[in-house]
Amino acid sequence: MGPKTEMSKTSNIIDFLEAGIRAESLRYEAIASNIANLRTPGYRRIGVKFEELLAKALDSSGSADLSEIKAQIHQLNTTPVKSNGNDVNLEVEVGEMVKNTLRHKVYIRVLSKKYRQMELAMNIGK
Amino acid sequence: MEVNNIFGPVDIAISGMRAQHKQMEVISSNVANKRTTDAGKGEPYRRLEAIFKADGDGIGGVSLDEIVKDMSDFHRILDSGNPNADEQGYVLMPNVSLPKEMINLNIAMRAYQANVAILKRYQAMVETALELLR
Repeated sequence: MGPKTEMSKTSNIIDFLEAGIRAESLRYEAIASNIANLRTPGYRRIGVKFEELLAKALDSSGSADLSEIKAQIHQLNTTPVKSNGNDVNLEVEVGEMVKNTLRHKVYIRVLSKKYRQMELAMNIGK
Repeated sequence: MEVNNIFGPVDIAISGMRAQHKQMEVISSNVANKRTTDAGKGEPYRRLEAIFKADGDGIGGVSLDEIVKDMSDFHRILDSGNPNADEQGYVLMPNVSLPKEMINLNIAMRAYQANVAILKRYQAMVETALELLR
């Protein structure tokens, strides 16, 4: 394995984390929109699909082209609606937010660890 | 519900919060209709009760199974001036008893808080695990 593949592997992890963080920021927007429309008649909750798409791409080839995998907004339209045609549930949104926050913390921690490793490698010759 | 992942505890706690939310809705309906003598069908309001069921056999959340009517006897009060009164002057009142509802409300609130506590503690747990990455 040449140094070139090693290099691309390193950037790969960072790319994955970056894509994950971008998906999360979209998910935060979706949650904010859902909570803002908690009482809007006829509003259906918005979800963001990313992890499933990534897993599917990784499943078939073992590696994924991140430029092709974009977080998608989707509306389920299957959750039971309240009498005003709205299907947003505050508890569910809070749960999504908690999950998103935890995921965010994991990504950020792994990313900073990765950068620290690189920094360490750069300082070895000193 | 998928519980076989890192967010299992979050999903379970949220399902508990939703269940207690529903329970509070039922209680508030009962309290609001404490003196509703006509709930259609010529009967007073019947007290409602939420029945919950576990999601699956093993570890899992909770969901609302159904909302059933409490078939216990209606209360009868003497109120001869009431247009709904029978020949003896009695009026049928809903079978809602406020002390019972208040106790159930307390239980529902505590259960909701317990689920929120689990949610918070689980977050703290994951954060502790992340300290390993420092």
